[in-house]
Amino acid sequence: MHHKFDVNILRRAEVAFERRSFIKKNPSGAFSTMTKLMQWLFGVSLLATAWAVVTFDLFGLSFPPEYREVAWPMPVYLLVSFGCFSLATVGYRVATFNDCDEAARELQDQIKEAKEDLRKKGLKL
Amino acid sequence: MASGADRTAGMGLVLFSLLLFSYYTVWVIVLPFVDADHVLHRYFLPREFSVILPGVAGVVLLLCIGLPSNQTAFTAVVLLKNHKPKKMD
Repeated sequence: MHHKFDVNILRRAEVAFERRSFIKKNPSGAFSTMTKLMQWLFGVSLLATAWAVVTFDLFGLSFPPEYREVAWPMPVYLLVSFGCFSLATVGYRVATFNDCDEAARELQDQIKEAKEDLRKKGLKL
Repeated sequence: MASGADRTAGMGLVLFSLLLFSYYTVWVIVLPFVDADHVLHRYFLPREFSVILPGVAGVVLLLCIGLPSNQTAFTAVVLLKNHKPKKMD
């Protein structure tokens, strides 16, 4: 009884897996057939047009002046915040780097040992 | 764990970038919603500098990174051009 139960579960999992891999092989819709670069460019151009509409008031819808003041430095702001994020990531990784002091010392000793061994055997270092 | 000097340098970098980010965020996003006669405006430059300063800093950075490597690339190209005819003979 217990054995039959496991086999049925395995069979169902196999069928579900087959179905899912079939769906992945045949994507439908323009967005899933685009390359990642095209998707990225599409997204970026959407954001760029949204920014241009707000900053230069292209459609003539007068936004409140505070929102326009916030919108126009947005590209520079995103660049600066990305730079700050990268800097913080680098600093954090430097601070939490895993030094293995014992392993380093062991390695140096092994190198010394190997050099002496080779020197004894006649290799001129 | 990383050595003491490494840890202080790393944490210093994290703190610096956090401070820079918060100052810049207040400058760009918070300040337009604050009244013009509020005392906060005294600590921030006029708004145009929030775009000019990163632009200038970026250009300076590119020049600093690019200039030594531009010089070596230029000399490499010149040397290569002088050596090529000899090799083809």
